[in-house]
Amino acid sequence: MTPVPERAGASTAAAAGNGSAPVAVKAGRHREATLYHALAGAGAGDGRTLAELRAAARATYDALELPVWRRSGFWSTSLQDLDLEALQTHPDGLRDGSGEPEVVTRTLPERPRAGRIVQSAGAVVHVELDPGLAQAGVILCSLEDAFRDHAELLAEWFSKRLTIDRHKLEAANAAFWSGGAFLHVPAGMVVEEPFEIVYAIETAGIAQYARTLVLGGPTSEFRVHEYDLAEDFEGQALHAGAFELYLQDGARCRLAQVQDWGRGEVYDVSTRVVAVGRDAYCHWLPSLLGGHLVRQHLELAVTEPGGDMAFRGVFFAEEQEHLDVFAVDLHETGPSGGDVHWRGAATGAARASFEGLIQIDPGAQKTHTYLQIHSMMLSPRARIDAIPSVLVSADDVSASHGGTVGELDETAIFYMQSRGLDRPTAVRVIVEGFFEPLLSELADEPLAEVVRGKVAAKLAAAREDIEAYATSR
Amino acid sequence: MADLEIKDLHVRTEDREILRGVDLEINRGEIHALMGPNGSGKSTLANTLLGHPSYEVTEGSISFKGVDITEAEPHERAKAGLFLAFQYPVSIPGVSVANFLRMAINAKREEPIQVKEFRTQLQHAVELLDVDRAFTSRHLNDGFSGGEKKRAEILQMAMLAPDVAILDETDSGLDIDALRTVAEGVQRLHDEQGLGALIITHYQRILHYVKPQFVHILMDGRIVLEGGVELVERLEREGYDQIRQEVGAGTAGAVAAGDAGA
Repeated sequence: MTPVPERAGASTAAAAGNGSAPVAVKAGRHREATLYHALAGAGAGDGRTLAELRAAARATYDALELPVWRRSGFWSTSLQDLDLEALQTHPDGLRDGSGEPEVVTRTLPERPRAGRIVQSAGAVVHVELDPGLAQAGVILCSLEDAFRDHAELLAEWFSKRLTIDRHKLEAANAAFWSGGAFLHVPAGMVVEEPFEIVYAIETAGIAQYARTLVLGGPTSEFRVHEYDLAEDFEGQALHAGAFELYLQDGARCRLAQVQDWGRGEVYDVSTRVVAVGRDAYCHWLPSLLGGHLVRQHLELAVTEPGGDMAFRGVFFAEEQEHLDVFAVDLHETGPSGGDVHWRGAATGAARASFEGLIQIDPGAQKTHTYLQIHSMMLSPRARIDAIPSVLVSADDVSASHGGTVGELDETAIFYMQSRGLDRPTAVRVIVEGFFEPLLSELADEPLAEVVRGKVAAKLAAAREDIEAYATSR
Repeated sequence: MADLEIKDLHVRTEDREILRGVDLEINRGEIHALMGPNGSGKSTLANTLLGHPSYEVTEGSISFKGVDITEAEPHERAKAGLFLAFQYPVSIPGVSVANFLRMAINAKREEPIQVKEFRTQLQHAVELLDVDRAFTSRHLNDGFSGGEKKRAEILQMAMLAPDVAILDETDSGLDIDALRTVAEGVQRLHDEQGLGALIITHYQRILHYVKPQFVHILMDGRIVLEGGVELVERLEREGYDQIRQEVGAGTAGAVAAGDAGA
């Protein structure tokens, strides 16, 4: 591992200058480093009805082209190969009868759960909720049903911090979403087992506009596991997701996501926002484990004093996959705490970019946060760019970052071989060990096992590539 | 035929010949010491015996229990019953000592080891090495002190029960207490399990605690002197330079010529 020098403290951090105003970028002119920004504030909701939001989003959708994101010459994420016109939303569902998609039953662990909601293509196909929890006031239903049955909650929270006009697919989500998931854990409820929210794409040709809203009432405690899964089909599909989670005073949530879009040509352009209220806490771990082209805007914001968060993340990109992650550790008020720790690996000719932004707004005094990114290259053609940035507008804070870039350590492989492990096993042990600090922190063995299993399968698939890399060095 | 038989072993790395014809025989139940000054090729021999990919055998052979293993993969040698205690043990983050040991033990077996049997063995090894039981749930060598790393090496050796172990400068960087624990551990594995050992060292210290029956002195890629434990004492009195002069100034010269020739 080669340590990347750390830049500690607010003074140097302020110079990083990520958060200035958006700059129009022309194709071929890439010098403008400013590209990704925190949403950082009021969303599109703001008193508008759902119909008004949809109409506004539709107008934006019609006006915009499919986006190309560029960053300072060495990175671009382009949707120009996506044939959006050819995709169908299927808001009424594709399947006759109910029942969960095969990819869901195959992937999700057998375990006790508080509830589960499953959407395939554009329709919710399965909802279950522990009857005791339902009795106690927990709500788990499709977002469509929530607009009918819980209008007052939706009026207050829906799209509170999510925008609808930054790019065409965000607008498409806001205009065309169907099904959707709504979870409300009322004040004071403590739920041990996880709520599972599942989005599945079973065939090519689908545009899935996924919309999730989760509310954690004051001092509630619960777990949410989101799964984003697809069958291994041939052809294109799209998942454009918008996720929002609001934690009210003293609420605690452990949020995890397992995303693996399989071997089809699946595009995933999603925005996820988590807002941590007064003295609330969120532990968030997305694991991004596959997709033809994935762009994720992930924003964890402390919005009230005393909020604290642990923002974890795991990614593994293989073959020709393109992964673009923008993770924001946002502090709107202080005192607050943050701790961002991501780990990613790449095989084949995969390209992954991880940009981690610490943003501390004016007045967010007494904020202490740290960002670290560790990456491991498993193939000479794979590439991971890790870009930490810090934007600090308060003076009584600490914000710093660090990270490592590593390759397979031949010394460690020889060491393990000398104990009787064969080479593929030794490689697996190293890569699993690389991710293990984050997976064991999940404190949820069934979920950790799902991620471990997927990592092991990807390593097995990349075995020849990894061997070739080792012998070429 | 000896259990471990090294014949006329020539080894090179990065265009430099390091071992220039080493002959050595080690059996189960025998303790050998291999001594030599820095750069004489001690660690090269240790790594070559386990098949480190950076070292190329250009001549000669290594056989173990009658099977030629000169070209065998490292894990095959380990499974056959060879062990190397590393001079610089590598940290394996994310894998606990206990889990690693279980994997290593299972790699040698058809059926995975029973939990109870594993625990019993581990408890025995932990006592032998005088380490805390909690030690085995720490990540292997990750953040270990020098002494802890060496204890972890011997702990692994005790658990894997090899026929022949090579200890590559296990004594270096150890304080006297750690040295005694490690050395007594080796001695007990020899006494109780019939371990054969090749103790590679620059100094004599460890040999005050483990008594070798055979002593070999390696200089410039060749074994230049062999004998019993009296050789250790002589080395302590006279030093390597004296011995070098005695075995012939030609040795060093030959290396220089060899280097030039390469």
